[in-house]
Amino acid sequence: MKRILLLMTTSSYRAQAFLEAAERVGVAAVVGSEREQALASANPGGNLTLDFADPEASARRVAAFAADRPLDAVLAADDDGVPLAAWAAAALGLRHPSPDSVRAARSKRVFRDRLATAGLPSPRYLEVGLDEDPVVLAHRAFYPCVLKPLSLSASRGVIRADDERSFVAAFRRIHALLARLTDASGVPDSSRSILVEEYLPGREIALEGLVTDGCLRTLAVFDKPDPLEGPYFEETIYVTPSRLPGNVQEAAQEQVQAALAAIGLATGPVHAELRVNERGVFALEIAPRSIGGLCSRALRFDGDASLEELILRHAVGDDVRRIERERAASGVMMLPIPGAGVLRGVRGRDEALRIAGIEDVRVTIPVGQHVEPLPEGSRYLGFVFARAQTPELVEGALRAAHGRLLFDIEPEAAGLSAATAGA
Amino acid sequence: MVTITEAARDKVLEILKDGDRKGVGLRVAITGRGRGPGGFGYELELIEEAERAPDDLVVDAGGFKLIVDAVSAPKLEGAVVDYVEDSTDSGFKIENPNSFFEEPAAAAVQKVLDEQINPAVADHGGFVVLLDVKDDTAYIQLGGGCQGCGMANVTLKQGVEVMIQRAVPEIKHVIDSTDHASGTNPFYQPAKGGGASPLA
Repeated sequence: MKRILLLMTTSSYRAQAFLEAAERVGVAAVVGSEREQALASANPGGNLTLDFADPEASARRVAAFAADRPLDAVLAADDDGVPLAAWAAAALGLRHPSPDSVRAARSKRVFRDRLATAGLPSPRYLEVGLDEDPVVLAHRAFYPCVLKPLSLSASRGVIRADDERSFVAAFRRIHALLARLTDASGVPDSSRSILVEEYLPGREIALEGLVTDGCLRTLAVFDKPDPLEGPYFEETIYVTPSRLPGNVQEAAQEQVQAALAAIGLATGPVHAELRVNERGVFALEIAPRSIGGLCSRALRFDGDASLEELILRHAVGDDVRRIERERAASGVMMLPIPGAGVLRGVRGRDEALRIAGIEDVRVTIPVGQHVEPLPEGSRYLGFVFARAQTPELVEGALRAAHGRLLFDIEPEAAGLSAATAGA
Repeated sequence: MVTITEAARDKVLEILKDGDRKGVGLRVAITGRGRGPGGFGYELELIEEAERAPDDLVVDAGGFKLIVDAVSAPKLEGAVVDYVEDSTDSGFKIENPNSFFEEPAAAAVQKVLDEQINPAVADHGGFVVLLDVKDDTAYIQLGGGCQGCGMANVTLKQGVEVMIQRAVPEIKHVIDSTDHASGTNPFYQPAKGGGASPLA
C-alpha cells in the first residue's frame, strides 16, 4: 500500500475529507500537524508533529521518518502546510511544486512581480511598510485601490479605499488587526507589510485545477455571482459550471496556465481567483492547493469521487486525466458572519434543507462562541451546499436557503440579543 | 466486593468532618450505560443512613459506611473507589474490572477505551463511548472536546481505529456515530487560511 504524508494544521477544515479519501483510494495516511494529536503516541507511524513555521528543519524530520516508513507523496491539505510539503517532497525526491514556486504563489508581492515580469495582465501595485505614515502613503497611492496585508489570507484584512481619507482609515484598521494578532501569538509578525493594489472592477471567478508536468487541467470554473466591490471582500457563493461565455472561460484558463509558467508551478492542485472585465482576465491569486473550507464538497467526479480522492490519486502518480466532473450544476455558499458577538443559536436549518436542490447546511462555529465578520474575522459561520440541473437553480437554492437561516448573535458590548436574518 | 483506597477514605472523612456530618455513608451505584469505566454510568453520593435502600449492601470503610446498591453489586464486584488529585484535576474515580458488555469482543473494545484511549483523549477534554459492537464493526460516539473537533477524524482514523484493531483484531470497522454539529466545546476549531487552531 502506498503511503502519503498529509500535512494539515489543527485549524484545517479538510481533515475528514482527506482521511476519508485516503481510505477510498487505498493509501495509508500519515498526518503531519503542528500540534501533537491526542493519540499520536499510540500510533507513531500514523502521526507526525512538525513545526510548519520552519519548513526546512521539519523537512529533515520528515526525511528521517521516511527512512523507516517510505513515503510515496507529501501533500498539504491547506495553505499553511504547502511550504513544508514543498521542502519535504524536495528532500525525498518526490513530485511536488518546488519551494520557489510555492513561495511565489503564496507571497502576494512576489506573485505580482513574477506576473509583471512575464508581461501578464496585472493591477498596479505598491508594497508599503506598517511603520510608514499612512497620511504620506495616501498621497502616493492610486484610487480606487485595495489594501492587502501580506501576512494574512482568505480576504482577511483586505479593504478597498476610494480616496486618501478611506486609505488612512483602512491602513489603521489593518495595523490594529495585525497588532492584535501579534499580541495574541506572542511572536513578532515577520511580514508587516501591506500591498496596495489598483482596484479592478469586474466579475470574479475561481478555477480549480490539477497541474501535471506544467500543464493545467481545469476541473471546474466557478462563478462568484455576488459582487465583490468592497470595502471588504467576503466570499459567499461559488457555482459551477460557469455561465460566462466559452471564450472568456478559455481566456481564464490561458491566464492561469501562463501564470503557472511565470511562477514555475508545475504539478499538483491549484486554486485560482480571477477577475474578468473589459480589459481582460486578471489572475488575482493562484494557490498551490485545492479550494478551501468545506467548499470541495461542491465538487463530485466520476464514480462519486471527491476532489480529495482525485488529488490523492494524482499525488501518488495515478492517471486521473479521464476523470470528469459530474454533469449536474453545483455550488456552495460560505455563510457570512453578519455581526460581531456571541453566537447564541441558528434557526431555520430544517426549512433551508427543505428547499429543492439544497443538500446540506453546515454551521461550523459552535453555539456560544465569539464570531467576528471580515475584515478582522477568520472563520466561516458555515456552508450551504446545493446541486441542481442548472447553475441558475443552484444559485437560487443557495440564496433561498440563506434567507431561511437566522443567526442569533448577541453583541458583546451592548449585551443585547438580535436575530439576524441570513438574507 | 467494592473496596476503597486510603486516599478516597481520607477525602470522604475530610468532607464529613468539614460538614460536621455524622451517620452518613458513601453510596455507590451503577446508573446504566455511561462513559465511565466498563461502559457504565456511576453514581457516587453521600447519604444519610436512613436514606439507604433496605437491600443495599453495607461495609464498614473505617469511619463511615460504604453502601453498595444491591442491583449494581454484581457489576461492581472487584471495583475500587479512589480519589485522585493533580495540578489539573481532582475527584473520585472508580476502577471496575467488569464490563457493561457481555460479548467478549465488545468487552475487549471497552477495555481499550478504558485503559488506553479515554485517559489519552481526556487531555483534550474528550471521551469516547462504545455504543455497540455488531459483527466486525464497533460503533462509537465522541464527546467533550472531541465532539465537533476539527481533528476528530484524525483521532478516529489515526488513533482510535488503530488501537482498537490492534487489541481486538476481529474488529474491522469503527463507525463514528457522533453528532459533531452539536459539539459545544471542540478542542480544535477550523479557521480560514489554516494556522494553529484556537484552543477551546
